[in-house]
Amino acid sequence: MAAHLAQLGQVPVGALTLPPFDRKTLLRKLGQWGVHDVARYAWTKLTQSNAARGGQLRNPFLESFVRNGEQIFSNLHQVARAFGFPVAVCHDQNSNRAVTLLKGWAPDLMIFTGGNILRKELLGVPRLGVINAHLGLLPQIRGMSSPEWSLLEDVPPGITLHYIDSGIDTGPVLLKREFPRVAQCQSLDELRNRLIAYGVELVGEVVLGLNRGMISAQVQSDLDKDHQFFVIHEWLRVRAENRLKESSAAWTAERQHG
Amino acid sequence: MNHSEATKDRGPSAFGRTARGLGEAVGLLRGPQRILPLASRVVEDRLRITLHRHHLYSYTTTVRPTDEALRLLILWIRNAQRPDGGIAAYYSLLNGYSASYPEVTGYLVPTLYDFACTTGDEKARVCGERATRWLQSLQMSSGAFPGGLHGDKAQFSVFNTGQILQGLTRSYAETRNSQVLEAAVSAAEWLTHVQQEDGSWSGLGAYQNIAHTYYIMVSWALAQLSESVEHDRYGMAAERNLDWVLAHAKPSGWIEGINLLGHPTYLHFIAYVIQGLLECGMVRRRSDAIQAAANSAWVLLRKFETNKHLLGAYNADFKGGLKFTCLTGNAQMSCVWLRLFEVTKDLRYLNAALKVNEMLKELLPLGGGKGVLGGVSGSSPIWGAYQPMRYISWGGKFLADALILEQRLKRHFERAECAS
Repeated sequence: MAAHLAQLGQVPVGALTLPPFDRKTLLRKLGQWGVHDVARYAWTKLTQSNAARGGQLRNPFLESFVRNGEQIFSNLHQVARAFGFPVAVCHDQNSNRAVTLLKGWAPDLMIFTGGNILRKELLGVPRLGVINAHLGLLPQIRGMSSPEWSLLEDVPPGITLHYIDSGIDTGPVLLKREFPRVAQCQSLDELRNRLIAYGVELVGEVVLGLNRGMISAQVQSDLDKDHQFFVIHEWLRVRAENRLKESSAAWTAERQHG
Repeated sequence: MNHSEATKDRGPSAFGRTARGLGEAVGLLRGPQRILPLASRVVEDRLRITLHRHHLYSYTTTVRPTDEALRLLILWIRNAQRPDGGIAAYYSLLNGYSASYPEVTGYLVPTLYDFACTTGDEKARVCGERATRWLQSLQMSSGAFPGGLHGDKAQFSVFNTGQILQGLTRSYAETRNSQVLEAAVSAAEWLTHVQQEDGSWSGLGAYQNIAHTYYIMVSWALAQLSESVEHDRYGMAAERNLDWVLAHAKPSGWIEGINLLGHPTYLHFIAYVIQGLLECGMVRRRSDAIQAAANSAWVLLRKFETNKHLLGAYNADFKGGLKFTCLTGNAQMSCVWLRLFEVTKDLRYLNAALKVNEMLKELLPLGGGKGVLGGVSGSSPIWGAYQPMRYISWGGKFLADALILEQRLKRHFERAECAS
């Protein structure tokens, strides 16, 4: 995200990141999840960071954003060095230290790329607000496992860029767009990766639009209705993937028949 | 005091708990073969709480097939059938099987028939038929059924009569035995006779002599019989109670009037109210009842999805409660969510039910001999406040119901996907 914005001429005033392994986070997760699940989670993280070190991109569809000439950025620090902005590592994005640091940067806008809850104090730091790229079309699909639920609920998979407020994906919408290449996806992992890349592209579009005063946020409709979805069960995830594969097969067949 | 409901409760009195604990410890001395299963379950639960603190399902995958879990549950129920034909209330890790329990024997009958119909298992059908014959032998001349465990001083009980009526109605539907129908009608006549003007049941046949909203389960049984015999008087009686219960529904989703004086409001009883309201509403085609049940069920669904578990007991308006898991209540909520999925087609209900079922299947013991193998414990951990150190027959009943329903709805879902 930072690399793409910088390449568009919108160099961030700073980036705040969390350490991959943090003692406090680990203890909190141990309390919430227990040893077994934390071990699985840690293993996933570890294998992902090893892959990144080996020059493999976790999400191949992000390559165009992280390529800088011959170089491919493999982490945020490399991007920051190339474009000259500071990176701060913080154990908790809602901590006083993090909020003070962010206030010091006096940003107009913040882009949130994590999945944790942001507290009110932090949300009040940027002049315009904090933007989230949600992997589903709002207001129909709020919450978790949005690409999977979109497929099951017959809502086109897509991206919504919105300001974060105190609710779950209920903030004013800046841009929402259906993802045009769903049928080209062979799996849910591919769909998710492509959506993330599409989200990065759209964030660039929105930041430029806001800078030129060409985009304004719209309050969501249906705020009184509960459109929140939760982590999808494996059995339903498989059904969502089947639907995706069917549309993919139909698309392939259509192409073959001209 | 209505003994049946007392069997399902556990009062908070320290004296009562100590006396019961001592009694059960003596039971353990009489049955030393139970020491090993008891110790292993306690250690297992201790480890489980440490390693899987909140049963976080996000990282769990299906390891135990539903068919296998169902087979174990029904085996547990068949093993719990006593020589008289009734089914024990529980198997205690301290003092073994209890005596036969008329109430649960009654509402286990539909579960046994459902399993037999789904799988063709004749043993389950025979178990249900034996249970029905035993129940018929217990009916009082008034048409009522006794509360409490078999052998206790028999006193008529509204709730138990209603729960047994469920079994009789289903048994009649399966066998067309006119004597079973007579028993069912006689029970329904008694229930309508002792119903209060406002639609509730209170007085001598009611637990603690006061009215309870969870008696909506009785109304569900009346509504079912009404459909079966095309006699609307029972249906109207059910609706009078339905209206009385609906008057207790609050905007928060909480339904007041469970009224278990001196006891926590266990999830089991909250789920009874929601399930009874939903099922009675469905039989009587009352959208207001279905909506009220959905409101409550949705509050619990959000709690389950957000906190990864449901509390064993809740305070009014779902604010706080007791931090253990009431497995029966979870299985009942699974049934409710599955039925709401069936009615509303909202996949979020199915999603939550699949997760709860996964957790409950994971907790079924795969060994330990009769009484333990395939049993559903009252609480998780097993020393939790609801039916501690026991595998309870109504827990097995509700989990079996949930799994049978899950299988049916999954089949429908797959068929609909193929058709589209």
